[in-house]
Amino acid sequence: MENQLTSYLTQLLERSANQKGLDWLSTQIEKIRTEAIPSKFFLAFSQASRYFKKEKLEVSNDLIIQADQLVSGFQPEFWDQLQTARTVLMLSYPQEKKPWFTAMNQLFETADMKEHQALFAALPLMPFQEELIPRAIDGLRTNISLVFDAIALNNPFPEKYFPEANWNQMVLKAIFMQRPLYRIQGLEERRNPTLAAIARDFAHERWAAGRAVMPEIWRLVSPFVNEQFFEDLKKTLATKDELQIKAALLTLRESAYLPAKELLKAYPDQVATLDMDAIAWESIGLEFQRTRV
Amino acid sequence: MYIDPHIHVVSRTTDDYEAMQKAGIVAVIEPAFWLGQPRTEVGSFKDYFSTLVGWERFRASQFGIVHYCTMGLNSKEANNEALAEQVMELLPLYVGKEGVVAIGEIGYDDQTEAEDKFYRLQLELAKEVDLPVLIHTPHRDKRKGTIRSMNVSEEHGLDPKMVIVDHNNEETVKEVLDRGYYAGFTIYPHTKMGSERMVEIVRHYGPERIIVNSAADWGISDPLAVPKTADLMRKSGIPEEHIKLVTYQNALTAFGQSGQMDERDWLDAAPLDQTKKMSGNSVLRGGQTPRVEGKTDIVEN
Ligand SMILES: [Zn+2]
Repeated sequence: MENQLTSYLTQLLERSANQKGLDWLSTQIEKIRTEAIPSKFFLAFSQASRYFKKEKLEVSNDLIIQADQLVSGFQPEFWDQLQTARTVLMLSYPQEKKPWFTAMNQLFETADMKEHQALFAALPLMPFQEELIPRAIDGLRTNISLVFDAIALNNPFPEKYFPEANWNQMVLKAIFMQRPLYRIQGLEERRNPTLAAIARDFAHERWAAGRAVMPEIWRLVSPFVNEQFFEDLKKTLATKDELQIKAALLTLRESAYLPAKELLKAYPDQVATLDMDAIAWESIGLEFQRTRV
Repeated sequence: MYIDPHIHVVSRTTDDYEAMQKAGIVAVIEPAFWLGQPRTEVGSFKDYFSTLVGWERFRASQFGIVHYCTMGLNSKEANNEALAEQVMELLPLYVGKEGVVAIGEIGYDDQTEAEDKFYRLQLELAKEVDLPVLIHTPHRDKRKGTIRSMNVSEEHGLDPKMVIVDHNNEETVKEVLDRGYYAGFTIYPHTKMGSERMVEIVRHYGPERIIVNSAADWGISDPLAVPKTADLMRKSGIPEEHIKLVTYQNALTAFGQSGQMDERDWLDAAPLDQTKKMSGNSVLRGGQTPRVEGKTDIVEN
């Protein structure tokens, strides 16, 4: 598996990186594979920043599809060249469990910001994933958005492995940090009543402080709309904020709660527009990030 | 634009960062040093080094300042030999990291045998990874310690132009410059240099290879020492190009030899926008208004 991933990632790098970097990388891969000397591996991992830029990869549609086939949910279109090169180096280290963990633990514990970003984003490509769950959960305690994003956004790892409590903490922290929720994989699939209630409490806290509520949070609520949530959504509809109203309508439309269906009849045009928009939540999230964050 | 090439910003407040940014400081270098009391576990060093390349770098960026650091085992703590050995094993993990612009600050404190041993080992490390060296010269017996630092560095074959000898005074500057080294001057109230003396040194020796810094830390010190000294030089009639050399360019040239420090890091940086970089609970806490800088925005002064 790691060989397939390595050749796929190298292919991606070949489209964007320069030859000097690629040559350096292939030398390092060979050394790391055959010698497996931790100190040399760490040095190469750090020094990749001297050879690769922090520019986004150029990824074609075909390659995006291929990525998902290799590892479900893997989205290299959000990766930069440097983290891709570092991931290749990481995958080159022999995957014999005990020494692998010794080396990786040290790497995680001594990493700088960009190295953390590379490591956490690469969790779904690593071996021994179930044993890496505590590492991922611990990583989310960061206050550095770059590192938080590497775990929480466009990463299939949390959806696949996080227990519900940790999942909920991650989503709440993303709300708190105003990160784009639509980029969390499995956001809809892993909705749960506890998280809906947390979202609601958060909204009330914001209202009490006279602040606006991130519209995307209502997405967490739609399967659980009841009398209480319904009141909140009506309150949201009453704001003069188009983005809030759109989010509330979308939530009501997705809900099976009967009074919600009744209420929607008062908004025929807006509902028709939403019906046409297959990625309405993403549009709301994008617009919010663009204009409010 | 100024660079403060020696400041321990982990000990400074966000008010300091704001004032530094307003005063024109675009980049800082934070040398790894001791923390006022000795560490007793190697893990404390590990977390400190990680802070220098992680959280502190992020924190500085929130205020529009580019943060670099140097890595090394300081001379005071070299005297705990058992611990020092472990720190030496740790250093290779950090010296190759992005934004590490030198090995430092290393050198002598009490000029003991242990200090000498670890100073030499780190000179070898610097050669191996091709990084400049930042030398901390001792407070006590300074002149002798400074000369000894240079002698030993030459014994290990280091090129003087790769070495910044710091905390100079009127007694050490001539020999340091004559032997081809960069000479750092620390404007630090009471113990090191004052701004007026600094002006006279630049007037006397000219601006070549002279570097001004604050070494501000947890003691009574001034994070604005570099811009303040520049202002005093201006008032004292030091030419503008000389001021630029000693408060900006020389530091960039010296530490830029690492390949890890580039003017584009701050010149091409996106305009400071805390709303983008800040993420709710990072440095700005709830209710604070983020500062936004740009063509259409007014930055309060
Ligand atoms: Zn210092």
